[in-house]
Amino acid sequence: MLQVENTLFTIVMISYFVAMIGYFIYIAAKKEIFFKIAFGIQAFGFVLHTVAIICRGIGAGRLPLTNQYEFATSFAWGLCLLGLVFMLRFKFHVMGAFIMPVVFLMIGYAAMQSKEVRNLMPALRSNWLGFHVSTAIIAYGAFGVSFVLGIIFLLRDRLSKHGFLDQHIPDKQKLDLIEYRSVALGMLFLSFTIITGAIWAERAWGSYWSWDPKETWSLVTWIIYAVYLHLRIRRGYKGKGAAIFAVIGFVCVLFTYIGVNTFIPGIHSYK
Amino acid sequence: MENLKKVLKFISSMRFAIILLVILAAACSVGSLVTQNQTYAWYAARYSERTAALIVALHLDDAFHSWYFILISAFLCLNLLLCNVIRLPSLIKRTAKENTLRSRIGLWGAWVTHLGVLLLILGFSLGQMTHREYAAYGVPGQSMPIGDTGLVMTIDDFRIDLRADDTVEQYTSEITVYDIARSSEGRSASLSVNNPADLYGLRFYQNSTGWAATVNIKKGDEDLQEAVVCAGDYLVVADRPDLVIYFNAFYPDYVLVPGQGPATMSSKPVNPGYLYSVYYQGQMLGMNVLMSGEVLTIDDYSVRFSQPQSYTLIQIKKDSFTSLAFAGGILILLGLLLSFYVKPRKPEAKETEDASS
Repeated sequence: MLQVENTLFTIVMISYFVAMIGYFIYIAAKKEIFFKIAFGIQAFGFVLHTVAIICRGIGAGRLPLTNQYEFATSFAWGLCLLGLVFMLRFKFHVMGAFIMPVVFLMIGYAAMQSKEVRNLMPALRSNWLGFHVSTAIIAYGAFGVSFVLGIIFLLRDRLSKHGFLDQHIPDKQKLDLIEYRSVALGMLFLSFTIITGAIWAERAWGSYWSWDPKETWSLVTWIIYAVYLHLRIRRGYKGKGAAIFAVIGFVCVLFTYIGVNTFIPGIHSYK
Repeated sequence: MENLKKVLKFISSMRFAIILLVILAAACSVGSLVTQNQTYAWYAARYSERTAALIVALHLDDAFHSWYFILISAFLCLNLLLCNVIRLPSLIKRTAKENTLRSRIGLWGAWVTHLGVLLLILGFSLGQMTHREYAAYGVPGQSMPIGDTGLVMTIDDFRIDLRADDTVEQYTSEITVYDIARSSEGRSASLSVNNPADLYGLRFYQNSTGWAATVNIKKGDEDLQEAVVCAGDYLVVADRPDLVIYFNAFYPDYVLVPGQGPATMSSKPVNPGYLYSVYYQGQMLGMNVLMSGEVLTIDDYSVRFSQPQSYTLIQIKKDSFTSLAFAGGILILLGLLLSFYVKPRKPEAKETEDASS
């Protein structure tokens, strides 16, 4: 099963790369057929990605969400899923050209991690771990989408010089609204992540909050998005100010996930 | 009066909330980057004398319990409380005006979220201030008092479940707790990692494990004392209180690595090595490794280590405000759900299916 997962993972990586190029061609050629091809390849990659994760779970005999590789590939899966959902939901086709590089970078990061399947230490053998990490995947995926939308918002004026993009990128008001939708989804799931993590920590380590670096940075991320949500209500901050916070928020997400594991030791540093 | 109103208005304002949140995020970030609760000497060795002085002066060595962190949290609580109290009457009026149940409930999202955050901070802070925590460790058969609770815990059994590759699957302790003043009958429970047990209002957690050994001391040919000592613990010689045997560490499969010192080849006690040190009147006389069967001689005394076994470390806690904090967490989730997905839609926020249109 793990061999199958390995093969599928390689095909997924290639699919995502081809889909990314496909979206670029769609913008350059300005032809809808290229969107359909790129979208089809992305969707195909996503289905294989789902199968690969399931194979990993069967091969490992547990939820495949416990080490840096498994979370990285699931993070890329979440980004891809939310990208597809938002593209379809808001018929925002050119978003594919912006989200796929992020998905590809994340799966590339996963490819650099050790794929070794290790037995779980007792503290990680908890049903709460499944809830904690799976909600994090959706949260991070949604924040990834809001990051991309924040970037598009900030570049909107420059992109409008390109006639095709100007026609196919929503106006700033709608961009802001879609970005808000993704942040709202991410915020809800991040709250689930933090709370289920706290329940798990209480049962495993006897303390539901111990200012572990990862806990602290997930709180910092939560605060950044809380500021985002409050800024949107304030007059004058909707739009650019909120977009900047959406970008900063995702930088915090990446630091929480990669930076903390790499630079700051703590109880989450499972390698 | 006018000034007080202005101050209250500012404290309850969203602007103040945003300022507090940004400062809180900054304080958390710095606190996570500086290793917490170390000594001045540790910081000086790691960074520099000047940086160490700065860290200590700014309380960055214990950032999450510093006066400014507590002050920010207190202001945030005040802000949330005032915000919710001030908004309550208008919220009730607006609720009455809404036509559908969904719209009525949806209006309360932000209010419920704020209440949740407030309860969470209060529950956590009160828990930090009032919680009691104890640790008890030993091998099966041993009993020990639990702090000042008047309870006594007996370790009935301790198991380490290993997988085929020798990795640990689970640690399980069977315990019985006695309230000696009230009854001679105890209450028993089984606890393992991720499965704590509740007895007498306390929660018992399987925390960790380590090695223990039986230390036998003879004086001449007579048995003087025998005790089970955990690694990291010491034994005072019964008739010589100024002579102490300290059990530093245990190496189940002992090997001396040149240039590195003692190490173990595996986790199985196939070649046990006991690292000990001897203290006389508070001064260390020496440190060495005693192999199984070897005897350490100090004057008339002979010391022997044997029967290595795993001990269990159980963490015992009482936090009466955990449920308040978790109630806050649930309210946050409920409030966010209401805010984002049940909230009555404003006309200008109406989504268009085709975003590019």
